[in-house]
Amino acid sequence: MQVKSDIKRQAILETAYRLFRAQGFDKTSMAEITAQVGGSKATVYSHFPSKEELFVECMMAALENYMSGTLKHLDASRTDPRLALLNFGSSVLNFICSPEQLEVRRLIIAEAARSGTGKLFFDKIAALRTQLSAFLAACMASGSLRRSDPELASEQLGAMLEAEMLEPLLLQVREDSPDERETARAAKRAVDAFLRAYAPAGRQALQLKQCPN
Amino acid sequence: MKSKTEAKRLAILNAASEVFREVGFERASMSDIRARIGGSKATLYNYFPSKEKLFFEVMHQAKTREVDEALGMLNPEADDLKQELLRFGQKFLAVLYSPDAIAIRHLTIAESRRSDSGKLSFERAVVPHEKQLAEFLKKAMKRGQLRTADAKIAAIHLLSLLESELLQRVLLGVLDSVKPEVISGAVRRAVEVFMSGYQRR
Repeated sequence: MQVKSDIKRQAILETAYRLFRAQGFDKTSMAEITAQVGGSKATVYSHFPSKEELFVECMMAALENYMSGTLKHLDASRTDPRLALLNFGSSVLNFICSPEQLEVRRLIIAEAARSGTGKLFFDKIAALRTQLSAFLAACMASGSLRRSDPELASEQLGAMLEAEMLEPLLLQVREDSPDERETARAAKRAVDAFLRAYAPAGRQALQLKQCPN
Repeated sequence: MKSKTEAKRLAILNAASEVFREVGFERASMSDIRARIGGSKATLYNYFPSKEKLFFEVMHQAKTREVDEALGMLNPEADDLKQELLRFGQKFLAVLYSPDAIAIRHLTIAESRRSDSGKLSFERAVVPHEKQLAEFLKKAMKRGQLRTADAKIAAIHLLSLLESELLQRVLLGVLDSVKPEVISGAVRRAVEVFMSGYQRR
């Protein structure tokens, strides 16, 4: 059962999310959020000590919910690494290329420089990335990837996954979000290049036999 | 006379670049820009019909030419492909991660919500650059220096690898300036991974 304060916290997050997206960071005040949620300002502050922290929490809430589902793909003991990375990659792309997440990302980037919230976002994202690094480290330990720096490898994989689609979408060069076939193809190209790059020395990665491209 | 016109145009671009950086695109006005260079507002609009156009030209001038130069340095006849890519990567990141370029990139993403400046910069800078790099990589594939693959995707992968350690940190303001030694390390690691991902086996 959800406790009362969790319900309150959720209500604050939802209201703040709506207001920040509609008006931006500067034009949204804690007073306005309080007025719409109901209750006292002290209650809002007891959940979120500052507007900056509230902004980061509500912008990251969707991402964190989503990631807790998609990170299940990364179970080194159960699936072969290629399949795990393909599923993970497509899933991440489907999420970040959705119109709502693109809008959130633009807002986060726009505010990062001005309000000093960027560091808070970076720490959150880094915590999520740790799970990808841990998966890659397990693959390195079991010999399915060559030994290297798993954190660097996870940043490189993340960048290659986003490479084809994120920038045109972010800059609104293309308006329509990609469908699942398109994200699956982009994920495949990124994962295949990544696996080739990190194939264990002296042999071709087993996974590559299944992917002629 | 042409040189006078060109001098005026450059003066406008420099003034605009300063104003955009100081107050941001949204709060910058054509009047502020005019005030720095003197002359009439009509003259200013004669050169640049809108603030969006002026903004794009500033970016175009600051970044595109330098990236062009970096791409121009790539020698398709060179035997040592890795060396070529290292040199290109070094210059490419030095251009993109200068404080000016970082500020402009922030603005472009923020402004893409309201104007077509993001779209313009992508179509007029990013797309041609990717294409030029893809042509270079295609030659390397034909010469057997890389495995045969989709050269456009290879170019996009190379560019994203070059930026992989820096882009997010810079966009989120965790890093506000990037030291040369950080750039050379990032370039080396990116080119090594790219070469192993695209080498012939």
